[in-house]
Amino acid sequence: MSTYTTTRRGFFGAASAVALMLSACGGSSDSAAPAADEAAADYTLVKEGTLIVASDLDFPPLDSFEDGEAKGFDVDLSNEIASRLGLTCEYLPPTNFDAIIPMIKQGGKADIGNSAFSITEERKAEIDFTDAYLDSNLGIAVKSDATAKDEEALNADGIKIAVQSGTTGEAYAKENMASATIVPLTTVTECMAGLSTGHYDAVCADLPVVGNMCTVSFTDCEVSVEIPTGEQYGIVVSKDNPGLTAAINQAMADMQADGTMDELKEKWFGSVSE
Amino acid sequence: MSNTRRGTKWGLAALVAMLAVAFALAAPHSAYALTTNKATARPNENGGSGVIGGLATRLTWEGTVEEGEKVSSVTLVLPEGGTFDGSSTKITVLEGLSRAKVEGTATPADTQLEVTFSEPIEAGYLLRLEVEGMKFPADGGEVSVGGSYVNQDGEQQLAESKPIKTIANTPLQALVATLDEAPWVQAWNSNPFLGMFFKPQLLATAFATLVPGWLLCLLIVVIAYPFAIVLGLIFALMKISKNPLLRLIAIVYINILRGTPLFLQIYIMFFGLPMMNINIDNNVLGVIVIAINASAYLAEIFRAGIQSIPQGQYEAASSLGMNYFQTMFDIILPQTIRRVIPTVTSDFITSYKDTSLLSSVGVMELMMFAKNLTSVSGNMTPYVAAAIFYLIVTLPLIKAVGYVEQRIANSERGGGPRPKGKAAVKAASAGEATPLPSELGVHFEAARDDAFGTSVSPLAPVAVQEV
Repeated sequence: MSTYTTTRRGFFGAASAVALMLSACGGSSDSAAPAADEAAADYTLVKEGTLIVASDLDFPPLDSFEDGEAKGFDVDLSNEIASRLGLTCEYLPPTNFDAIIPMIKQGGKADIGNSAFSITEERKAEIDFTDAYLDSNLGIAVKSDATAKDEEALNADGIKIAVQSGTTGEAYAKENMASATIVPLTTVTECMAGLSTGHYDAVCADLPVVGNMCTVSFTDCEVSVEIPTGEQYGIVVSKDNPGLTAAINQAMADMQADGTMDELKEKWFGSVSE
Repeated sequence: MSNTRRGTKWGLAALVAMLAVAFALAAPHSAYALTTNKATARPNENGGSGVIGGLATRLTWEGTVEEGEKVSSVTLVLPEGGTFDGSSTKITVLEGLSRAKVEGTATPADTQLEVTFSEPIEAGYLLRLEVEGMKFPADGGEVSVGGSYVNQDGEQQLAESKPIKTIANTPLQALVATLDEAPWVQAWNSNPFLGMFFKPQLLATAFATLVPGWLLCLLIVVIAYPFAIVLGLIFALMKISKNPLLRLIAIVYINILRGTPLFLQIYIMFFGLPMMNINIDNNVLGVIVIAINASAYLAEIFRAGIQSIPQGQYEAASSLGMNYFQTMFDIILPQTIRRVIPTVTSDFITSYKDTSLLSSVGVMELMMFAKNLTSVSGNMTPYVAAAIFYLIVTLPLIKAVGYVEQRIANSERGGGPRPKGKAAVKAASAGEATPLPSELGVHFEAARDDAFGTSVSPLAPVAVQEV
């Protein structure tokens, strides 16, 4: 895969790469995308003309990996943003969720992380967020025939709650259900598979995703608690690349204005939440 | 929580109101126009689950506006010693699950945080305040968050939240704080590589918090291995047995286990067994998977070891009237064990490292702890600390394997200390190069060329002297 070439190039050092990109971006003017030209001088990319996206691709309906292809709301969003910036969108192979922010911070592999990242102060300390593009909440899924279903019953010794490592669901479970054992796993699918087989008593994760999983893949489970947290998803960009954040914000504002954003929400969620 | 508030008028007012509530009214929650749903704090103990006082953390406070009420501002109050100074507040107003467009500003002032809204919050709305960077009182204890709010009728008291358990600073946290301050640490961390892989603060934290995971890894492999050895031996004997059925069973068992990834075996066991309503404790299941997996490799090692013993020894044993089991346990296996020790130790090292795969199914072993700490810190240092924990065990074992191999190689070559026989030969063949037992054949040939007429074998002079 061509991304691996990029990976290797990353090792040559950010500085030379940045210099290369700058000159390259300035030179390649694309008459079809005047907006991109203006922004091109302001940001740097790992690979010229390409927006490389890191995602765990295991978070349907936002991110998923089907038949070797990235799919989902976030994926459509990344593609749309890339095309508005006059770039080609390229997804890295599925990356562990908790590795994405360090990867973006370190640089050299991907330009943005778009994997349903809730905007939190903690994460803001590491990287920059774009403006929010979607509202979300948390949810707790349990087996339909379970006895312990609400937060109080689950906050007990001997209860195991599976969470995806590095997520707001994990933070919520640790903060609010401290008596239970919190088991951090790599993907939400792993959490749900373990819940379905009776390995864990509950899963705490983003509501749209647990809702989707309970209706599509793990029909013996149900969402027992909807936790209103009002969190919002944003795209992760390196702090060294404020130009890219601004360019994406502009693209998303345009999408909001011309109705593309609502179309996407309609397509993936069947409704427009805002 | 302590009732000793002093300083501001607000504090006094709160005290009076609290006393009033506690002693006179004993009013239920419905008396509040803004009910306190909960107040929680994010654990800020590195690698732990405690909420440490005097260290920045995040307070999450939630309240609901009751029927027929409008709330225009809320003030949260911490007990003496706590502070909101330097905090930033995220204000979220929700109607059901959707965000309401209500703006607000938060003004921290020591133990108080005043939050005012652009427009009053309507009845039925949920108010969520996330105060990042606030500090609880340094001495720990149970802390309740109180305060007041302003509705259409003026200022009212808030119900105290359920107490949040906080603890005083831990020695580890104090060490981390010292490291945070140290100039050399700051210089060290400013290097992206060192800061990402060898951050001193995180190394200290990781060494302290990874220990339980490390012990579990060791426990799993140490318990699993004796079972693996017994199982491996049984299957090795089955594989070399003359009974075709036993051979078939052993071949299928060994080939399936050696031919599939351990990761897959773990998944099948951990997700498959519960589906059959067989519920075994995670750690025990971990021991079982590791033992079964290792047994297949050990079976092959033992089989090779047994078959490396020359056929002549079986013949010799049977000529002495030994049956199969006597031959095996008295003659063959003792020699086999000696020969396979290095390979078995290598396999033990592999099994020990393989316990890391159990983290993917929720066994709280070393990798799990490291992964946890990494996801919290966004830094690779915990993985490096985990690597060190693995090496503490594997390096000495690798060294030991090398040493044992050397010894075995020496002894098989005939080197090393040998009992009398050799001394006798040395004395006998005075001056001549002493033939080593393993080289006897060669020397015998040579000796025949030189002195065929005088001696039939190199040992002949001894015989002559004795005569």
